[in-house]
Amino acid sequence: MAGFTVGRRNIKFAFLLPALIYLMLMAILPLVWTLTLSLTKWHANIMPKPEWVGLDNFKYFLFEDPRFWRDLGFTSMYVGISVTGELVLGLIFATLLSQKFKGKNFFRVVYLLPMACPPIAVAFLWRMMLHPDIGIINTILTSIGLNGVKWTTSATVAPFTIIMVDIWEWTPFMFLALLAALQSLPTELYQAAAVDGASSWQMFTHITLPLIAPVIVTISLIRIIDAFKLFELVFGITGAGPGSATESLSFYVYVIGMKGFKLGRGSAISWLFLIILLIFALILISRFKKQRT
Amino acid sequence: MRKHYLLITLFIVLSFLFTASFIFAGPKPAEEEEVEAVPEEKPPEVDLSVPITVLVTDPHIQVVDTWKPIWEAQTGGKIEVVLVPYATLEEKMWLEFRTKTGSFDIACVPVTWLGEVFGGGHVENLEPYMDKYGYPNWDDVMPGVQRITKWMGKTMALPYDGDNHMTYYRKDALEDPMYQEQFKKKYGYSYHTPPLNWSEVRDIAEFFDEWDWDNDGEIEYGVAFIAQQNSQAMWSFMDVCAQYTTIAGKPSNYTSNIFFDTETMEPLCKSPGWVEAMTRIQELTEFAPPGLLGYGYSELRQAFVSGNSAIAFDWGDIGIQEQKPVEYGSKVKGLLGYGPLPGAKKYFDRKTNRWVEKQHTVNFLNFGGWVWVIPKAAPQKDAAYHFGIYMTNPEHSLLDVCGIHGYTGANPWRWSHFKTPEAWVRGGWGEESVKAYLKAISDILQDPNAVPDLMIPGTPEYYTGAGSSLDVHLNAVLSGKISPQEGCKRIYNDWVRITEEKGFDEQKAFYRSSLGLQ
Repeated sequence: MAGFTVGRRNIKFAFLLPALIYLMLMAILPLVWTLTLSLTKWHANIMPKPEWVGLDNFKYFLFEDPRFWRDLGFTSMYVGISVTGELVLGLIFATLLSQKFKGKNFFRVVYLLPMACPPIAVAFLWRMMLHPDIGIINTILTSIGLNGVKWTTSATVAPFTIIMVDIWEWTPFMFLALLAALQSLPTELYQAAAVDGASSWQMFTHITLPLIAPVIVTISLIRIIDAFKLFELVFGITGAGPGSATESLSFYVYVIGMKGFKLGRGSAISWLFLIILLIFALILISRFKKQRT
Repeated sequence: MRKHYLLITLFIVLSFLFTASFIFAGPKPAEEEEVEAVPEEKPPEVDLSVPITVLVTDPHIQVVDTWKPIWEAQTGGKIEVVLVPYATLEEKMWLEFRTKTGSFDIACVPVTWLGEVFGGGHVENLEPYMDKYGYPNWDDVMPGVQRITKWMGKTMALPYDGDNHMTYYRKDALEDPMYQEQFKKKYGYSYHTPPLNWSEVRDIAEFFDEWDWDNDGEIEYGVAFIAQQNSQAMWSFMDVCAQYTTIAGKPSNYTSNIFFDTETMEPLCKSPGWVEAMTRIQELTEFAPPGLLGYGYSELRQAFVSGNSAIAFDWGDIGIQEQKPVEYGSKVKGLLGYGPLPGAKKYFDRKTNRWVEKQHTVNFLNFGGWVWVIPKAAPQKDAAYHFGIYMTNPEHSLLDVCGIHGYTGANPWRWSHFKTPEAWVRGGWGEESVKAYLKAISDILQDPNAVPDLMIPGTPEYYTGAGSSLDVHLNAVLSGKISPQEGCKRIYNDWVRITEEKGFDEQKAFYRSSLGLQ
């Protein structure tokens, strides 16, 4: 009987093994490989082999490289403003379009279009529209007597241009998820509240918001993690400029690893980036759990 | 039965259309235009049975696309083209050099990257190929262009492009007597055409900024140049920097030298010459179109030939686009004047550590040009060399540089290109225009004391590299985020670090060698 059990267990592992090997090769191995690389110095275009430097690369970014902190600061500001903006606008649109009116379905489809565009195409589209000399937006502004704006060429304005485009692109995601959440709410609660004389605002703040809070937390978490990886918009619209005014952490990783071929440092900053994202995610998830309990 | 009739009728109609399309379709434009001009090739001595892969960026794709079908038809060979944008060309190239997968056989790359490429032994020495298969008229290649293909005395690349910045100006603005009079009244002197120095450029740019001086109903601006980050803005800066940092002469520590002290390898970035140049170029942004910081080479050329500025600084490409109203929307055909880069009224003499007040001009071979290289790991090296010399022989390269093939990104680089103005006229140029244009370029390329561009290991890093670079700090200065002094200080610190990382003594030896010093 014991032999039969061992045999069945072996067969079970035999079936699992290909999937496990695949996972190891595709997911774990690259992580371990980059972790190892992050402890080395390897300028791939001039050094044939990596040199072991221990934690030097991590020390460099954390204590010696102001650009890392500046990019982290910009990325955090961008995530904070854009995700908040998307959430607020998404909630407003979802609330409006959950009402009954003619042409509702048309607007629902139209609002989803930006999200369906590839990010690099979105970047190119907006780059053309926001071009300070020939862009359609400045042409409109000047035709009505206003001054054109240096959307992509002013160090002050350019960060907000990136945020604006991101909000345009990703508000539909929030809208879609929140609309689905709103439509799944039970109507009895609202009927009871109406009988008790609650105003629309009271119903929204005391019934709607608490009920859709889990959805809000989940989609915010998804968007925060995604927004932290900001790359295409920066690459396509401003090229991280002017100066490094719109340089995101992802772009910096690209510059170090792919433009500078500093594979050790590129791996180290990638790992730091991953750790920062994990910390954010863990904080948000634990807050979410607390809220539920 | 009826069904069968229908099918038969359909078959006949389709056959008719198919045949008619062959009869009435014209030949491909490139073939139609070029086959007559190209003499029959000798039977190739190399094995062309396997396709070769060409790595190229825009706008050089135009050259490959033109010659590919003709070469294939004449030789029976086959070419596959990999087109990548300029921004990703470097990483594509290095990926191949590191992995040695043989993903391309020949690549068109800028010479400024070649310090590491040549020094690292990543590409073939082409001299054995030249000995074996010959090279079409090496003596026809201008000396300055020959120099950029060499490393430690060996020819490592096929020349293809002669690059240097020059001045373009609107003749209808700068040569208008009424405007000249108004300018003199305002500034108290008469400017030269083309402007003699950067002080004149500043005043002219201010004078012509933000008003409709060509009466086309649109506002024009004073000056335009490449200023976009992650592009080629550093060469716009070096145009100015060369004039304030050194004086022309046989390259030495104190003449025709703008990057490092040749004795100490200390970067010159903090020198008063650099700071002055940084201040000047920052000031010019005030008299430029609002989108200036978004001007890469394409944007600059498109904007200038559409008539938006009085002066521009660029390689020879604006001149080509000027001639093509249909293809590139040029509104300035015949309206442009050409000249060398402006000089300066003074330069900082590091020998005496003081400013010397003297009108002078330093010719700077910025960027240096594009060349073709054959990677060590290329599987079809001989065939790649065959195609390389086919594209760049005197007859073919003339068609690529003179405008007959449109905007190719290749500028004149053979003596013969300058001696055949009739070809340029066929390319859409006016006779007077082309004389002035070719003179401006050849004056610079023939200057034996022209300052060579930085071409040592790490050049991309010094210019646009990771975590540092002239490009990033320059852009911060141009956008007004930091002062010129601060910008120069940051560049200096980065350059010191990069030099230390690459190896101080090795870099010094490479740098001295690039200037022809022992």
